[in-house]
Amino acid sequence: MLTALAWRNIWRQPVRSILSLFGLAFSSLLLVFMLSFQFGIYDTMKVGALGLLDGFGQFQPVGYDDDPDISRLLPNWQNLVEATNLEGIDAATPRASSFAIMASGDISFGAAIIGVDPVTEPRVSTLASTIIEGRYLQEGDEATIVMGEGLVRNLGLTLGDNVTMLGTGNDGAVAADVLELVGIFSTGISGLDRQITQMPLARFQDTFNLGDNVNVVALRGADFGAVVKAAPELAQMAAKEGAVYLRWDELQPEVKQMITLDLSTAMLTYGVMIIVVVFILLNTLYMSVLERTREFGGLMAIGMRPTQIGAMVWLELIFLSFLGAGIGIAIGAGITLWVQAVGIEFPGMDEVFRQWGISGRVYPDLSLLSAFAGPGVIVISIVILGLIPYRRILGLEPVTAMGAA
Amino acid sequence: MQHKGNEMKAIVSCKGITKVFGKGELAVHALRGIDLDIMEGDFATLAGPSGSGKTTLLNMIGALDHPTEGEVSVDGQSLSGMSKSALSDLRLEKVGFIFQAYNLVPVLSARENVEFVLRLAKVPAAERRSRADAALAEVGLKGMENRRPSALSGGQQQRVAIARALVGRPRIVLADEPTANLDSKTTAELVALMYRLNQESGITFLMGTHDPRVMAHSKRHIEMEDGKIISDTRS
Repeated sequence: MLTALAWRNIWRQPVRSILSLFGLAFSSLLLVFMLSFQFGIYDTMKVGALGLLDGFGQFQPVGYDDDPDISRLLPNWQNLVEATNLEGIDAATPRASSFAIMASGDISFGAAIIGVDPVTEPRVSTLASTIIEGRYLQEGDEATIVMGEGLVRNLGLTLGDNVTMLGTGNDGAVAADVLELVGIFSTGISGLDRQITQMPLARFQDTFNLGDNVNVVALRGADFGAVVKAAPELAQMAAKEGAVYLRWDELQPEVKQMITLDLSTAMLTYGVMIIVVVFILLNTLYMSVLERTREFGGLMAIGMRPTQIGAMVWLELIFLSFLGAGIGIAIGAGITLWVQAVGIEFPGMDEVFRQWGISGRVYPDLSLLSAFAGPGVIVISIVILGLIPYRRILGLEPVTAMGAA
Repeated sequence: MQHKGNEMKAIVSCKGITKVFGKGELAVHALRGIDLDIMEGDFATLAGPSGSGKTTLLNMIGALDHPTEGEVSVDGQSLSGMSKSALSDLRLEKVGFIFQAYNLVPVLSARENVEFVLRLAKVPAAERRSRADAALAEVGLKGMENRRPSALSGGQQQRVAIARALVGRPRIVLADEPTANLDSKTTAELVALMYRLNQESGITFLMGTHDPRVMAHSKRHIEMEDGKIISDTRS
């Protein structure tokens, strides 16, 4: 009875109800799209920033993250490569790295030199896809090297030139080699393009006296979330071999901080929007309660309990909020799915995006969280604050209510 | 309680009812020590000039308001100290109201308005419908069951209100100026209707009114002035 009455009461003032529904639906729609858009950007940032070089997760020797010394070797790394047997982990690649002086003629610059497996590395890192001149490392390569365009420019090199590398080996002895520049990459991140070089792992191990040891094993999966989900199992695997597993947020804490900061700012904006919408709606309902005080008095007179009248009004609010939020979620999800399929271009933002490994086109990511979190908060707030008119109704006396204007 | 001289039972008993609105110098004494019994089967009118206390007394009897002093009993049940919910239940079970402004629920049809009281009383659905239709037929609204109040005339709305007041089989029907908004013809019809219901079904009516056409039908006429009963006569 209360349900039917509450539903009909909503449509007593159709224009007012439709305006309330419109406000509620529009704010829900905005929240769904904006949250999905943000989550989409965050995912793209994570995949872009981590996929370029680090991988979505890494096995490392204990303490290597704080002190990445070549002498910190990953025990039984061949066993850790077996992580690809886990669900969600599609590729694993071993790496060894150090710092070295790169010299060409009279010019020399310090850079990071990473020994990589030319076959498995491109399955984990997208660096190979940023080659702008020449080629990436290949199976069978020996004394070859790929460099970022910034370092190539600084050293005054061209493809096919030889580079002298001078570093310190695992045993403390001098590690020196002459390598042929076979490829130049451009990641768009100037720091990387000035400081990163890669050479075949086998040659690196020889040059730096590593035997068949490596420093890290980097992982990747087709789905970022699947790798995140596998973190506990990967950590167990690492612990079994006396190593550690570093999640994405440990590999790139600045990405996580950036996301947290951006999300906090956005939450503030969403919070203000939700408060405004909730109070506008509540104000509308409260006005409607005041207008109907006389009617409530009549209902009390014929034997309806104040709690029943309060419940009826509360139900009106619940119907209105669920309906408005439902419409907003449906339209918002539809728009988001469409944009998710085609993406959005942000002309002029390429430079900013490139720093985070993002291309110029971004895609929202609709999920249960992004679809229901914002509208859910609105609905819950309205339902809770709806107790204000409910309490007012409980305090009504039939005679004074019937005498209300 | 038995009324002197006959076997009728008092449906309503008021003892020393006083009602004061406001405090101090602004205090208004709306009722001043009212003693009144309304007997089963009464068709009584409560008359008097504006401000004489008619509506206040009806509100006390209908458990809509509390007296400042004194005690009201309805069907032998004292209203003193009852909670809001208990008073709601008492109104639902024992009292039917007819208001000057009808007070129908605008979003419900005539049938649903009448059924509403039965729903509150948790009467089963099938019985609800048949009783509501019977009550509407009784007040001459057969065929208009599905109309909403906005599609009914003032007189028809008041008939719905009467059906709603009667359908719960209350011990007493209280009517406050029930004909004030109606034309002469409709007033005459409604008074005749209420009188017939009183005569045929023995339903007790107490009506606050200025209307001489209503008073003309009453079997008991109570006159009030300045919050006191100045006469109580039977015809």
